[in-house]
Amino acid sequence: MKIIVCCKIVPNEEEITVLGDRKLDLSAASWKIGQYDLNALESGKQLAAATGGTMTALSVGGPAALDASKIRKDVLSRGPDDLKLVIDGGRDFSDSLQTAKALAGALQEIGQFDVVLCGMGSSDLYQQEVGIQTGALLGLPVLNNVTDIQPAGDGLLRVERTLENEVEVLEVTLPAVLSVSSEINIPAVPAMREIMRAGKKPVEVLSGSDGAETSLTTLSELAPEQQDRRQHVIEGDGEEAIEALVQFLKKECL
Amino acid sequence: MSIQSIFVISDDLGALNEICGGVKPMADKVTAIVFGGADTAEQAAACGADRLIYCPLDDAGAPENYAGAIADEVKKTGGAAVLFNNSIRSRCLAGILGVMLDTGVLTSVNELTEQDGQLVYRRMVYGGTAQRHESFSKPYGVATLSGGVFEPVTLPATTDIAPIEGAPAAGIKRVARSEKKEGGTNLVAAKRILDVGRGLAAKEDLEMVRALAKVIGAEVGCSRPVAENNKWLPKANYMGITGVQVKPDFIITLGVSGQVQHIGGINKSKVIISVNKDKAAPIFKNCDFGLVGDIYKIVPALIEKLS
Repeated sequence: MKIIVCCKIVPNEEEITVLGDRKLDLSAASWKIGQYDLNALESGKQLAAATGGTMTALSVGGPAALDASKIRKDVLSRGPDDLKLVIDGGRDFSDSLQTAKALAGALQEIGQFDVVLCGMGSSDLYQQEVGIQTGALLGLPVLNNVTDIQPAGDGLLRVERTLENEVEVLEVTLPAVLSVSSEINIPAVPAMREIMRAGKKPVEVLSGSDGAETSLTTLSELAPEQQDRRQHVIEGDGEEAIEALVQFLKKECL
Repeated sequence: MSIQSIFVISDDLGALNEICGGVKPMADKVTAIVFGGADTAEQAAACGADRLIYCPLDDAGAPENYAGAIADEVKKTGGAAVLFNNSIRSRCLAGILGVMLDTGVLTSVNELTEQDGQLVYRRMVYGGTAQRHESFSKPYGVATLSGGVFEPVTLPATTDIAPIEGAPAAGIKRVARSEKKEGGTNLVAAKRILDVGRGLAAKEDLEMVRALAKVIGAEVGCSRPVAENNKWLPKANYMGITGVQVKPDFIITLGVSGQVQHIGGINKSKVIISVNKDKAAPIFKNCDFGLVGDIYKIVPALIEKLS
């Protein structure tokens, strides 16, 4: 089975600085693999092992995110046999359709595949729509919140999808695009051997496609107004401290 | 100036009512679309939309299969906003519909306003670090709205009700479906919440937290790792930008460090009380009252004193 796993390289949100005017400064933020895409990489690795298949990682993004060899190696240490990239400084990838068109173009360029796996959402914008839209653009079956994937014979997967109040078991005809839930697995930490091997795996930059048009206009992006919290903090868990908490609860809450 | 046409599509009638009521003043015409037969449509009529379309489902059917038929209906307008509730199914249908309408999708929108004749959508980005305001620059816009964006209102029931014109497309074959075993708590409606973090050492210790919850009449929620990594509580119980966003009268965080992602889920609480061993934990910058101490000492003491 030929598996392609999509992952987005995102700024580490813990390293974003909020400026005095509530605007964001991303210049000090390092790049990382989106948290939920780690689940997709892990699923791809497991499915490739179960089917004796191959796994390709695919990422689209700007040069700042994708040019660094460190991040490429990080992706490659998590199971893929190779990495394919669309490096496009012209799009800002904040519109789900725009990103999906870039991925769909890359998948067409790659040509043959059986299943495309995506994470639940990117950890920066978290639209949870790019996988679905990519599949829909290619006219393929799509599913979100997939919680289990099992090979089910020739050209089929048996997929469990967990909704709010029910669990569905579905038979998916391949090729298909699946977005996996972050519940599906706990991503393994890459072993040293995998990290060493990662540097030797092939990386190919694809030519990319047109269709950079965006559907959205960003009007503003500001940190939430700091809520005024009293921050009355007492150090200690002795009788006096606990009594102060009890009094606070009785006075303000209960 | 108002928006000409808004579609509200929901697989949950409660959410349908809330969104229809909220957008009615913004649009010339609101069309509601629901999934089920004429009986479902009758129940849904309370949403008060100008027009109601229902998409019949048989046992094998799924709402997602109606994407094409719904797109045809929406395209009759020449330009419209299509708003969904924020369920997993709705997000799937929204994405497919977005492709058919050649537009992107904004999900988990937490505020929707009308400004100068266009809709402005607000949502959290970068794990809750910022709120982004966006509008669609194409004729069609598709979005999913989080619960609680609008206050519920009561409108006169819809009388213009009809089945959808198109037929559902063949869908993915469903082999089995079952009710979810693990329940979840409706934390969105909870007035009092205990919020468990990674400071809890073992699953058994949840009993201690539940005992306190019982004493003060609170629900128990948690941070992401407690639900997803440890699986100690159902996923529906985790609060954060990617989980549930709550607004109780008060919340007591127990062993929660207070990452941005989690704070984004609890910062609408009226009062935040925090207990954590680590004096430097960011949660103390986001609380009203805090104790730097051991939850294993403090929780039993609270149970005793408040019983």
